[in-house]
Parts: sequence; C-alpha cells; structure tokens
Amino acid sequence: MIKHTRSTLALAGMLVLMSACSAGVPNLVCVGASTTYLDWLEGTLALSEADPIEAPANPGDPADLLAIVQERGKLIISTDADYAPQSYLNPDGTFEGFDIDVGKEIADRLGVDAEFSAQNWDTITAGSWAGRWDISVGSMTISEDRKPIVSFTQPYYYTPAQMAAATSADITTLDQMPDPLAATTLATDANCAEAIRDGRTDFVFWLSSSTTVKEAIDSGIPIVTVGEPVFGEALSVAIDKSGPPHGELLYEIDRIIGEMHDDGTLTQLSNTWFGIDLTQAPPAE
Amino acid sequence: MATATAGNTGRGVDTGAGQRPAILERIAASDRRHRTSFRVQFALVWIVLIGLLGVAMVATNNVQTDWIAEWGPYILGGTRETIFICVVSIVLATVLAIVGAIARLSRNPVINGVAALYVSLVRGTPLLVQIFFIYFALPQFGIVLPALAAGILALGFNYGAYMTEIFRAGIQAVPRGQREAAEALGMPERLVMRRIVLPQAFRIVIPAIGNDFVAMIKDSALVSTISVTELLWRASKAGTQDFRTLQALIIAATIYWLLTIVFSFFQERLERRMAEGDR
Repeated sequence: MIKHTRSTLALAGMLVLMSACSAGVPNLVCVGASTTYLDWLEGTLALSEADPIEAPANPGDPADLLAIVQERGKLIISTDADYAPQSYLNPDGTFEGFDIDVGKEIADRLGVDAEFSAQNWDTITAGSWAGRWDISVGSMTISEDRKPIVSFTQPYYYTPAQMAAATSADITTLDQMPDPLAATTLATDANCAEAIRDGRTDFVFWLSSSTTVKEAIDSGIPIVTVGEPVFGEALSVAIDKSGPPHGELLYEIDRIIGEMHDDGTLTQLSNTWFGIDLTQAPPAE
Repeated sequence: MATATAGNTGRGVDTGAGQRPAILERIAASDRRHRTSFRVQFALVWIVLIGLLGVAMVATNNVQTDWIAEWGPYILGGTRETIFICVVSIVLATVLAIVGAIARLSRNPVINGVAALYVSLVRGTPLLVQIFFIYFALPQFGIVLPALAAGILALGFNYGAYMTEIFRAGIQAVPRGQREAAEALGMPERLVMRRIVLPQAFRIVIPAIGNDFVAMIKDSALVSTISVTELLWRASKAGTQDFRTLQALIIAATIYWLLTIVFSFFQERLERRMAEGDR
C-alpha cells in the first residue's frame, strides 16, 4: 500500500514537472549541418573577411591547379544539391540554381567546361578533397575556422542569417525569444523546417539563411520570420588547401568574381534566383 | 490450425489398389478447402494492412501524388545503380570469400593469420565506417577512388568477410571421402581442391550467396553517404530540397521492398533447385 502511494506521488510529481516544462517555449534552435549557425548560437562564431589575394609570383606554373584545369578542359565544382534555390536537382538529374549558374559562368570565363560533383556539405567543408573536385561554389561562409582548411576568394554574395519560428509559437520579435538559446542539429536545414511542420515540438525555432527560410515559407511550411536578420554572412568560392598549389587559380577566379560584380552579372543572377540583390556587402555595424 | 493443414499434402495415405474410399476423398476435399481459405485469409491480411498503411500516410496530408509523379522516375532510375553496385560487389565478395576460405583452412600460419585478421577486422567494424574509411582515409595513402568504386569495394570487402565463413563451412561440408578418393587416384592437393572440393562446395553455398545478395540490396543504401547517386541518395536529395522527405522515403522504401521480394523469389527457387539436386 505504501509502495503504491509512493509511486502515485512520483507520477504526480513527474506530471507537474512536465507541465512546468511545456509552459514556456523550448529554447532550442534547430540548425542544419551548417557549422556557421551552430557557432553563432554557441557564441563562438568568428566571421572574417577574405584574405587579400596576391598576384602569383611566377605565372604559368604547370603544377598549379589552374594549369591542371586548363589541361583537362573542365572545371569540377562541388555542390550540395539540396539547397534550393542555390543548388538543387531537376527530375532529369541535372543541377540548377544560383550557385550552379555562378559556377558555370566562372568556368565559362576560364575558358573551360563546368562539371558538377554532388557532395555532402560537411564533406566539402572538411577539406581533404583528394583532387576529386577543384573548387566549391557552394555559398560557403568565410570564417576563421575554415581559413586553415580552404582558401577563399572575395565574396560573390551575402546572405543574412534569419531566425524563424513555428507559426503556432506566436513569436515574431527577437526579444520574445527565451534567453539563453541552445542549439539542436539535424542533417540539413530543410529537415528543421520539416520537423516543425510535421509536429515535432521539442523545438520551435530555426536559424538558416534568409533565402532558405523564404523557400520554406513559400512551400507552405507554417513558420514565420522572427525579427531582423541576426548577422550577415559573406559567401565565397573556396579551394582546398591540402590539394596542389592553387595560387593562380585562386587569383583568376577572384578576378573573375570582381568582373562579375562590376558588369552586373551577379546582380542579375541574384535577382533571378532570389528576387532581390544580395551581392552588395551589407553596411558595417 | 490453418497452418497445420496448409502444410499437409495428404501424402502417406495408403490408397491401396487405387480405389479411394469416400472418406479419403472427403478428407482431401476438406484439406483443399482449408488450404484455399488459408491463402485467401493470408492475402486479405496483406491487402488490409497495406491499405491501412496507405490510408494512414494519406491522412497525414503530407503525401502529394503530383510530387511523386514528378520525381518517381528519377528516383526509380537509381535502381539501376543499386543493382549494378550489388552485382559487382557480390562478385567481388565471392572471389574474396573463396580465397579467404581456402586461406582459413590453410595449415600455413601466415596465410591463415592474414585471412583470420581480415574476417575479424571486417566483421568487427561497422560497414558505414568501412565505407568512410575507403572513401575518405585511403586518399591519405595516395589512393583516390571515385565514390562508386569506393562504395563497391567497401561492400565487396565487407560481404567477402562474412561469406568467407560461409564458404569455409561449405568446403568442410564436402564429404571427406570425396577428397580421399581423389587423393587415392593420385591427384595433387591443389587439383583436388579445384576439381573435386570447390565445385561441390560451391553448390552448397550458392543459396547463401543469393541470400547475401538480397541483404546487400538493403545495405547498399549506406553508400549514399558518400554521394553515390543510387536509390536512397536520389530519394533523400529530391525529398530534402522540396521539403518532401516523407514522400521520397516512401518511394525509396517501396522500391527496396519490391526489389527484395523479386530477388527473394528467385533466390528461393534457386535454393529449391539446389536442394533437389542433392537427392
């Protein structure tokens, strides 16, 4: 009898505890495989600017990646094909999107063909590409953590990082959010949005790029944006540092990106894919 | 009750001079009725359960037939890669298993030790880790394999280790008398193995190879992690980018299921034929 009462008490206690927990909004923010958003939530994000790129000392080095690419007549570009509208699959197996168009344009101006190699995002950011592909045109954020691993060109566009919340949470401004926030991760950005739609309640917040959040809202996911973007990211073309020397290729691509900024190609592509010009650096805070 | 009658073929009843008494006819008729009723109920259970599963999925309002119609063909196209990967891998695994089994039976401690280490190492580590190792770690030693080759190598290497033990058992199952008879005729040891033992052992293990092939169809989904564009990779990428992971996985699961049903059917027939030959 005593035993019975005790377990009933324990059960009642648990119920009280559970209801106390569900009273507030959980402070978990879902992020995809992107380490950038995870680092921001954990307060360790070190955004940085691209290092200045010097003109190669002795142009025409046959060992440089540029010579290898020209010899091959083909620039192999990695892409993670589940990041609409930057890069996504068509039902015929080809790739499409802003990053794909930028990649094609770079290859074109290098005078070679573009070939895309589908890779998981964390495989690309980990470095050690083993020569399987030459460059990443995959909206990679320039950060201090990545600098020892890859070389960055100047940014080709900028995306604001946008906080979003499930519509049901009824939160639309950043100061309504719990403090402190904590992170929870799923495999991809889209998985976070899907989890909210499909009724998971362990988190109601999602941090992603404004372009991905917009894509999710447009496809009917019941989420709303929360406040203004929390920070801006500069996104660049990257080349693996563990590969062959690539000073010349980096210099060339950086020059091409400058050219594409100046002649309006990037602005036009951004308007086409995002409906907004994201190619101008946001004013410094 | 139904199962018991379903398995009873009425054999062993002595019909004497061919005149079947009425009672036996009635028993046989009742038998047939039971068997038919069993089959009908069995089929009904499948239809009802699969139907319920379908209704439950549609009820989530997350299943969109137009999306499935749009992406179905592309995802289905991954079947080609999946089958190709499995066929090449099972051939590789079979070769490795034959070599491994002979080595495991060798009296040479070096050969035996190498083979035993191979089996232990591969069976003692997850297949996923082996796939990552071959794709990501081998380049550190200067060996850069394309994703497809890395996936095939990993699957073949993994299944080869499991099949080594199957083949070893197969070789040991060949009656000792066969080997002794061949030796008595003056056949050298290697020839005995090649001409007498292996062909008979192979017969014994063929159903096991078929079984492993069916298992491999499912395990091959793991190579999607290194971006081999097979069934699961196609399904998950197409699903993720459109926020339709559920539909995509339903399509992929259905295809895997149908594939295993088809290959299990052939595998069972093969197994039966092999068993008949033994009588």
